[in-house]
Amino acid sequence: MKKTFSLEHKAFLKKQKMHTLFVHLSQVGVLALLLALWELLAHFEIIDSFITSSPSKIAKTLVELVGDGTLLYHAWVSTLETLAGFAIGTALGYAIAVVLWWNGFLKQVFEPYLIVLNSLPKIALGPLIIIWAGTGKMAIITMAVLISVVITTISMLNGFCETSAEKILLLRSLKASRRQIFAKVVAPSNVPTLMATLKINVGMAWIGSIMGEYLVSKEGLGYLLVYGSQVFRLDLVMTCTIVLCVLAGVMYAVVALLEKIVAKNYT
Amino acid sequence: MTVLQFENVSKIFYTKTQQTTALQNLSFCVNKGEFVALVGPSGCGKTTILSLVCQLIQPTSGKVTLASPNGAVGYMLQKDGLFEWRTIEKNIRLGLEIQHKLTKENLDFASSLLRKYGLEEFKRHYPQQLSGGMRQRTALIRTLATNPELLLLDEPFSALDFQTRLEVCDDVYSIIKRENKTALLVTHDISEAISMADRIVVLTKRPARVLLQHETHLQKYKTPLERRESPTFAKQFELLHRVLEEAKS
Repeated sequence: MKKTFSLEHKAFLKKQKMHTLFVHLSQVGVLALLLALWELLAHFEIIDSFITSSPSKIAKTLVELVGDGTLLYHAWVSTLETLAGFAIGTALGYAIAVVLWWNGFLKQVFEPYLIVLNSLPKIALGPLIIIWAGTGKMAIITMAVLISVVITTISMLNGFCETSAEKILLLRSLKASRRQIFAKVVAPSNVPTLMATLKINVGMAWIGSIMGEYLVSKEGLGYLLVYGSQVFRLDLVMTCTIVLCVLAGVMYAVVALLEKIVAKNYT
Repeated sequence: MTVLQFENVSKIFYTKTQQTTALQNLSFCVNKGEFVALVGPSGCGKTTILSLVCQLIQPTSGKVTLASPNGAVGYMLQKDGLFEWRTIEKNIRLGLEIQHKLTKENLDFASSLLRKYGLEEFKRHYPQQLSGGMRQRTALIRTLATNPELLLLDEPFSALDFQTRLEVCDDVYSIIKRENKTALLVTHDISEAISMADRIVVLTKRPARVLLQHETHLQKYKTPLERRESPTFAKQFELLHRVLEEAKS
């Protein structure tokens, strides 16, 4: 199909394109400016680069850590823990939400518990987790699961309960069973809710795994962060932080892409 | 043959602080092939009646009889209620899926309806790609696909603007007549009731009873639009309007 645009339309499109480009350039520009300022301040010793590190030192550390494989190893460990916590937390939360939607009595009984659990800072359970799940990977994954599961349950349950009453009525008039009502209306109309929850859980799972590593681990980015701060290697701390930003950003982007593909027809 | 019968039906709802009698000794029937409209002041219990027909609730006393083997009816909602995540074709199969009737015969019947009513070329489209009128037609065909004894139309045009409403009204009416269906229309729009129904049942305000049964005698006109232009239309409108005003007070 060939489309022809009027001159005005072309001008409009060009203007839009220029605007988008300008936004992107500005985004990169802000980062570049900050890095340059940071580097200059450190270079002229206006700030103490022992405490603040500097972009060039971070770059050097990054190259070293990548070179001897340390960084890849620790990043890989953290990513796996996060993915495990993310998957288990989301699946478990979804399953609990289904059960509570299914049985109105259970929902009424457990609602106050959910609220309390949601408000509770999960890090407070750290000591318990260590005793119950040990000091290995299990403890870290448990932490990531705990942080994502409650919020998943609450948002999915809210979504389930707000399903269009009209559509449910339509199915009931066709004599649909509760299982059919879930499969045909409640689940599909909550695909957008699920996608939104996945996005939240990316952040939650990272909080969980890094927190977990602070508490117990001997490996992973969280461990490197704690180690770096204890021996006052701020270059290491900064480098890990930046790697974390990148990893979390990539994971979020993957979920956002998934949402774009899946949720297209669910609005 | 009677497709639907209400015999002295009463329904009382209870809440913490009060009890509400929604229907009291309500009796009416719908015969096979007939198009009946229920009109009444708003809040007169029309939703209760529809829920009783669908057997979603049970009457407090009296009897609701539905001549349909599994108690399923074709329910057409205020908004079209199409599932945005399903194509038109899959939307139309919904009822068959629910009732485990996805036989080749039934699927062919559904496809033939699509063809007959000009939706064939849109069958792979999603609802949001269709106009309001087309969506409403899809909704009607979805209810027809399970071949129900009785169609329930719950103010099916109230979400449409006036111009579209007249067109869709003609469209829905002609499809229902062509498929020889029995229909019960619930509306608060008197002109809509006169332009579609063979018989109009006027209800009182809550607790709902039958105030008046009115035959329109407009069967010789083919479409609701023609009925609206018939000489007796204005008179019937006036009569029902007056009766309804009295029902409100």
